[in-house]
Amino acid sequence: MSSTDSKSDTSKEKPAPPKPAAEKPAPPKPAAEKPAPPKPEETLPAFEKELTDRIVNQFSGDAEVGYVKENRTRINVKKEKILDVAKFIKDQTPFDHAESVSGVDFPEDNEIEVVYHLGSYTDNRYSKQVLALSTRAPREDVPNPGNDSTKLPSLRDVFYSVEFHERECFEMLGVHFEGHPDNRRLLLPEDWADLPPLRKDFKNKGR
Amino acid sequence: MTEQIPTDQTKELPPGLQLEKVDDRIMTLNVGPQHPGSGHMRIIVRIDGDYIVDADPDPGYVHRGEEKMAEVRNYLLNIPHLERPVIHDSCNILYPYVLGVEDLVGIEVPERAKYVRVIAAELNRCVYTQYWLAIYGIFLGHSTMFMWPAGDRELMIDLLEKMTGARVTHSYFIPGGVRNDIPANFEDVCLRQVNYFEKRIKEYADIFYDNPILKARTEDTGVLSSQDAIRLGTTGSVLRASGIDYDVRVKEPYDVYEELDVHTNVLKDGDSYARSKIPWLDMLESCNIIRQALEKMPKSGSVRTKLKPNPKGVGNDEVYRRVESGRGAAGMHIISNGKPEPYRVKISPGSFRNLIALPYLLKGEKLGNMPAVYWSLNYWPVEADR
Amino acid sequence: MSVIAPKFRLAYFLKSIIDNIFWAIILVTLIGIPAIQIGLFYGDLPVIEGELLTAFLAFTWLFNPAMALPLVKSLIYSDLFRIAAFPGFGFAALIAAGTIFVERKMLAKLQLRVGPFYCGKIEGILQLAGDGLKLISKEIIIPAKADKPIFWAAPVLFVATAAAFVSLIPVAPGGWVVADLDVGLLAVFAVIGFFPIITVLSAWSANSKYPFIGGIRALHQMVSFEIPLILSLLGVVILTGTLNLSEIVESQHNFPWIIFMPIGAIVFFTAMLAELERIPFDLPEAESEIVAGWLTEFSGMMYGLVQLGSYVKLYAFAALFVVIFLGGWTGPVFWPPLDEQIITTGLEISSYTGDPFLTVSTPGLPLFDADPNEWILQKQGELQYTTGQLLISGVVWFVLKTIAVIFFILLPRGVFPRIRIDMLLHIGWYKLIGLSFVNIFIALGLLYSGILGPEGVF
Repeated sequence: MSSTDSKSDTSKEKPAPPKPAAEKPAPPKPAAEKPAPPKPEETLPAFEKELTDRIVNQFSGDAEVGYVKENRTRINVKKEKILDVAKFIKDQTPFDHAESVSGVDFPEDNEIEVVYHLGSYTDNRYSKQVLALSTRAPREDVPNPGNDSTKLPSLRDVFYSVEFHERECFEMLGVHFEGHPDNRRLLLPEDWADLPPLRKDFKNKGR
Repeated sequence: MTEQIPTDQTKELPPGLQLEKVDDRIMTLNVGPQHPGSGHMRIIVRIDGDYIVDADPDPGYVHRGEEKMAEVRNYLLNIPHLERPVIHDSCNILYPYVLGVEDLVGIEVPERAKYVRVIAAELNRCVYTQYWLAIYGIFLGHSTMFMWPAGDRELMIDLLEKMTGARVTHSYFIPGGVRNDIPANFEDVCLRQVNYFEKRIKEYADIFYDNPILKARTEDTGVLSSQDAIRLGTTGSVLRASGIDYDVRVKEPYDVYEELDVHTNVLKDGDSYARSKIPWLDMLESCNIIRQALEKMPKSGSVRTKLKPNPKGVGNDEVYRRVESGRGAAGMHIISNGKPEPYRVKISPGSFRNLIALPYLLKGEKLGNMPAVYWSLNYWPVEADR
Repeated sequence: MSVIAPKFRLAYFLKSIIDNIFWAIILVTLIGIPAIQIGLFYGDLPVIEGELLTAFLAFTWLFNPAMALPLVKSLIYSDLFRIAAFPGFGFAALIAAGTIFVERKMLAKLQLRVGPFYCGKIEGILQLAGDGLKLISKEIIIPAKADKPIFWAAPVLFVATAAAFVSLIPVAPGGWVVADLDVGLLAVFAVIGFFPIITVLSAWSANSKYPFIGGIRALHQMVSFEIPLILSLLGVVILTGTLNLSEIVESQHNFPWIIFMPIGAIVFFTAMLAELERIPFDLPEAESEIVAGWLTEFSGMMYGLVQLGSYVKLYAFAALFVVIFLGGWTGPVFWPPLDEQIITTGLEISSYTGDPFLTVSTPGLPLFDADPNEWILQKQGELQYTTGQLLISGVVWFVLKTIAVIFFILLPRGVFPRIRIDMLLHIGWYKLIGLSFVNIFIALGLLYSGILGPEGVF
């Protein structure tokens, strides 16, 4: 998903962050959603727009809107500010838990992205919303998990529910979460000595 | 897992004899993976007398790298193996993937296919929950409760076999609808079997849920308050047993759930008993949903929108979809980069999210409560490992 | 490619057979036959019909129909037969085997399945034999750091203790009990007291964590339930004034004690379930918590012995319940007196053509009568029932009652989940002991009000 190629045919409505923040082209919205506005490029959903603007305006320069879709928003944050943004989201918005932490490897950008999908149980208006809070850590070609520069501040003290997700991200991509109380392997065997397996340069055997 | 046990420096232990620090009071138990009360995982439990002072779940014994495998297969080839994490609930675990891919390629699903999907998903939820309930019964030493759900589960499996042709690994949902139409007289058979099934599972209350020993044993054990349920990010039955009214089918309805009357079962107690009762109530609710869907389903029509062959794959996009599976919200984060294969598929299943509550709840419990608390989390080790 | 016995040579095979035969002959002639002769020299041989039974005489009488019955009878009345076969271990093991079969089938019916089905063609009746063969043929694995002598001894001790328990149970009138002690009930408690010791010894000697926890649980459970077990029986002892189990049974010829002491019976039954580690109280073997509890490290026939011992123990406890609360063998005598012709001339067994040369008659059928002439007394009206009649109907009543109690012991397995150890101990120490004291006070009240007891109305 590098930003280099294969992007020409997709029309995007806002300046592309390093990530593919493109809206989908012609085919409208998810099929299972409620009837979507026919031309989503023109009118961004107001509720979600207001939400992202609130966060981005608070951290202008450090955070930017990834995309705004119906029920789904995304904010890209620099890694130095991720803890502050997360605290702000926890305190000022109804998002109270993290549903998922995805680590994505981008070898072309030499970066590893970590996406926290935040949801809300407490506020009914926000119960549909999933806010993707993403940040990027530098990537090293010869990883040494835990001891190289691939480090991010842990959000475990803000969103407790990321604890196991971050442990998984650590073993699968080699992103060391500083401040995480329990940076051990979770799923992989304890004698795993290969690359972190979800990095793109770890090739599946036989493929 | 590398254990960080501080070893006594002054004492040289004979090699190979002691793997842990010898302590007078604390005993370390390896509950699993060969333990009959652990499933495919290990829980490292430290007990002081009969009380658990520390519990450390160690999943990963059935980690198969589904996410990595998904990166080298194209979108359609991913379907059969992405349902493998939990084959008893294979429709539901595949549901977010199919919905996400439909979002990515922008394909409209026929109305009948949506209903068929909902029926299959609810049937599959019953299949899973019966299996879960059977194991919950045997974990508590109730062998009848092991046999009854395992037997009644066959009703639903039979229906799913009629629908999909396979008993557990259905691979039934595909982007654009379902793989094949349901057989001709399916509605009648389904209605009959679902009604009988509902009658059967109502009997479970007599032998299991109203059993005084069961109540005395599981009530007030492993209490998860609603604040903690939110803070730990639990989902599904664990969340709803703690008094949080959150069901993805209601809150963010997908397919035709918003046209159906879905009642969310919520209990306030947050103990093992409530957590074990919610899936059973959900099964009764599933029977309602299936009956409604059978009634409202268009009697004929296409069940599949053909994907147009597109050698370029789908565009640069990402999508996060979630559904309510048998174990709670199952989310999938799919990133595409224009290639025929997804760039990244992240599965965030309910089991993995509920696992975090296990060490939290086990701490301070009695050892005898461990199976009751552990399995009431609606945790499926294979799904959590992916 | 795997080959069964890759180094097989026919010559080696034959050689091994011949070797074995050779060594068998050597051992039998040099050790076996002298041992038998020494045994015959020192052993007391029975006197039958006024003649000392020698080996030669025994072989002679085996083929004499007139003498076969006295021979069999002397065997039946020997101590060895009592210990090994009828009121003792063999009878108990037979009922235990039946219990296992009934348990599996009943549980299966309760759970809407069929249970053992194929082994033995008829409802899986040979399943138990198959399981036993499997257990015998399995390898016995002992943990590396186990205390081997104790670990080996534990299953044997368990079975032996269960057999000792069985030997105290009177089964039929006329002294059909291996050890008819005046302190029978105390001896029963003494034998029961061995079980927690054996359990904790085996658990400790296994040097493994789950057996250890299971053994500690078993110790807690058995020790704390022994107290209500003993206290609940004190009411009966107070009212009968004896500790002899046979006399306790005889005291119930009018009514069983359960009518006056239902509380004691309930307490005893509950404590019995706990002592037996049956399902609501099977904490020492709770498989979802501590694998198999103190049985975890047992394998092969060691496990089989423990299972055998536990089912024999189950029979013994059920029999104790029957003896103390349900009146043991008391019940109407339904066995008819034998026809005079059968006793004097015997049944004529002949071919259908009535060929007189093939007719065999076996007189003297009152096999179980203590005195073979009791039927004459019965004919003259001086004796109401012969001892044979009493024995047969007594055993039938006893077995029926025991099976009923065993059924109630088995039934909770299909109905209840497992209880927790703290709840269990709470039940034992708070509720059951209190209830058993209530039972004792009821018994004392009945005794001092002169209703029951040695000087009572009834």
